Amino acid sequence: MKLTFLEKKHLVIPYAVFLLLFVILPLVVVLYYGFTDGNGNLSFENFIVFFSGTKTMGTLVYSLVIAVITTVVCLLIAYPVAYILAKGAYCRKHSFLMIFVLPMWINFTLRITALKEILSVLEGNLAYYPFVNTIICMVYDFLPFMIMPLYNSLSKLDSSLLEASADLGATSAKTLWHVILPLSVPGIVSGVTMVFLPAMTNYVVLDMVYNSTYIMGSLIGSYFSAYDWNNGSVISAILLMLIGFFTMFTGRVAGEKEVARS
Amino acid sequence: MSELKLQRLYIPALFLLSAMALGGCGKKEDDTIVLRVSNWEEYIDLGDWDEEEIIDLADGTDIYGENPMVTDFETWYYETYGQKVEVEYSTYGTNEELYNQLTIGDTYDLVCPSEYMIMKMMRENMLVPYSADFYDAGIEENYYAKGVSPYIRSRFEELNIDGEALNTYAAGYMWGTLGIVYNPEEISQEEAAHWSLLWNEDYRKRVTIKDSVRDAYFAAVARLYYQEITTEEFLAQPDYHEKLSELLNRTDEATVDAVEKLLAEAKNNVYSFETDSGKADMVTGKVLANEQWSGDAVYTLDQADEDGVTLCYAAPEEGTNLWFDGWVMLKKGIQQDPKKQQAAEAFVNFVTMPENAVRNMYYIGYTSVISGGDSDVILNYMKWNYEAEEDDEDTVEYEVGYFFDPDALEAGERYSFLTTGDQTRRQLYAQYPTRDVVDRSVVMACFPDEDNKRINRMWTNVRCFDLKSLFE
Repeated sequence: MKLTFLEKKHLVIPYAVFLLLFVILPLVVVLYYGFTDGNGNLSFENFIVFFSGTKTMGTLVYSLVIAVITTVVCLLIAYPVAYILAKGAYCRKHSFLMIFVLPMWINFTLRITALKEILSVLEGNLAYYPFVNTIICMVYDFLPFMIMPLYNSLSKLDSSLLEASADLGATSAKTLWHVILPLSVPGIVSGVTMVFLPAMTNYVVLDMVYNSTYIMGSLIGSYFSAYDWNNGSVISAILLMLIGFFTMFTGRVAGEKEVARS
Repeated sequence: MSELKLQRLYIPALFLLSAMALGGCGKKEDDTIVLRVSNWEEYIDLGDWDEEEIIDLADGTDIYGENPMVTDFETWYYETYGQKVEVEYSTYGTNEELYNQLTIGDTYDLVCPSEYMIMKMMRENMLVPYSADFYDAGIEENYYAKGVSPYIRSRFEELNIDGEALNTYAAGYMWGTLGIVYNPEEISQEEAAHWSLLWNEDYRKRVTIKDSVRDAYFAAVARLYYQEITTEEFLAQPDYHEKLSELLNRTDEATVDAVEKLLAEAKNNVYSFETDSGKADMVTGKVLANEQWSGDAVYTLDQADEDGVTLCYAAPEEGTNLWFDGWVMLKKGIQQDPKKQQAAEAFVNFVTMPENAVRNMYYIGYTSVISGGDSDVILNYMKWNYEAEEDDEDTVEYEVGYFFDPDALEAGERYSFLTTGDQTRRQLYAQYPTRDVVDRSVVMACFPDEDNKRINRMWTNVRCFDLKSLFE
């Protein structure tokens, strides 16, 4: 069909409006509050407060530790699963995939409430192991977000490459290390991005498993509830920068792999 | 589909749409007053009670919540004043959330924050004073002026900001104490009578503290000055009450530092800093004691009773925090519109009409500031709830005269009744504390912004991961 009064480029308008109102504008507000003091004067005070406080830095470290462990555990569990799903000779592959992705259909607070009951049977008093429970629930929560991109990337993998590798005498371990892993890097990168960043801020999980220590998300919330928009915003800005660095870094890694392939 | 057919479909559809749009516009009559009310979540009767829930008081009054209180108000207002009013009712979860909503530009006419937030709003000149008429007990419809408990009213009058008493700007709604809900099978009444229970390592990871700076701070300060407060000397002082209030409201650096240490200890000892899960966890037995507001305590105890678990409430001996939530009118909303202000004041009067106060109390578990004045409804409701049956064995006289009448002693037996012994530690004690509890209660002041900042920072420090702990 020919679009007469509605040219193709006009199709972008709804999203552009959305982007402006709900992404760019809030970002400007966050940066404004982050780099001004209570009276609206330009100031790096909030920035300094965050990086000089042992407690605020402690929160950053604690959030990073939780995010790293969650991501690594997710990756270790998801990779074999995704590989089997993508390459295994199952006649009902899609049904299996469905089972792994199904939990995403249920709200995560409900899922964690259910998981808590199981954990209490195993552990007794959940409050004794706040850190371990946090990791377990985070992994449970984010696992599908790791499986999906890995599955997508692995299922595109050309089987003839694996046969070639075997023909040339590589052991299956070598094939994995030199062929499969490098080729699935884009999947790993997008999976890691989807798990690592939310895990740093998903404080609802910590609240639910009685972990009373703040992570970045709860710290922002605590500042906001004390009407301290400036210190809360600067932490949001710091998180944004972290995300920025992270995506730049992972983007480059993924980019190199793309280049190497071609 | 040909163009003709399309047109045939379109035209009626267009008519329909425009008719709907017009109808929507014309619905609201010009003279309807729109009253924007914002209240705590689950803090008013929403009606729709079961038939068997009718509260049949001894004097023959039947109280029953058929419709939501807000709808009843709209009907009542029209019947009483011949003027239509439409209430836009919304809710908030914390005082801070309400304040934040107001600062980012939401406008309400009537809101119901706690006493310290009322004082903050007074200080920031956000409120409209109640009209002189509102406190005229001679006017038939002035249920608040006629019915508010003289005790609560006098505690309100004690509070002032820049020389202006709280009751100039606020009409009370609910009140209560801060205490500890505990499981009497595992924790003795004696242990629960002290804030130190929350630090007791025998109950490690089986007690909770509220996840709120002020409530955590209060418990810690009371624990900190426990020795000093409970000496006989201290108790015997003529100005005991002022001294207690001064001590439990301390915000000097030494106190805040000591509180930080105490709360850091507590963080390792508590099951969690809890926001909402505490009630359920008490019933299931995961938690043996939790810091709780009296109204939530009543609710928790009721829920536990339904599940066959007996819980108790204690207001610790060191002192408790006496709190109020009150209705205040906002300048930005009312905007000097006398009609609107009149409707707002009428709303307060309606929800504090004794029968309606009972409906709210029954529905939410909190305690209304209304003692009823000439009406016996409130006392009868107390009896309906808690009076001992004739064949009960363990009964005690429960005296609540202070709430109804400062000269209650002269009034004799009118304000006391027989109740079962366990109620002196349970719902009745939480809902209507005894005189000794309120005597050792202090209102937690609205701290100056500077002190608040330090206290908030202290709380953040407690909650953040301490890097130093890695190297110890």
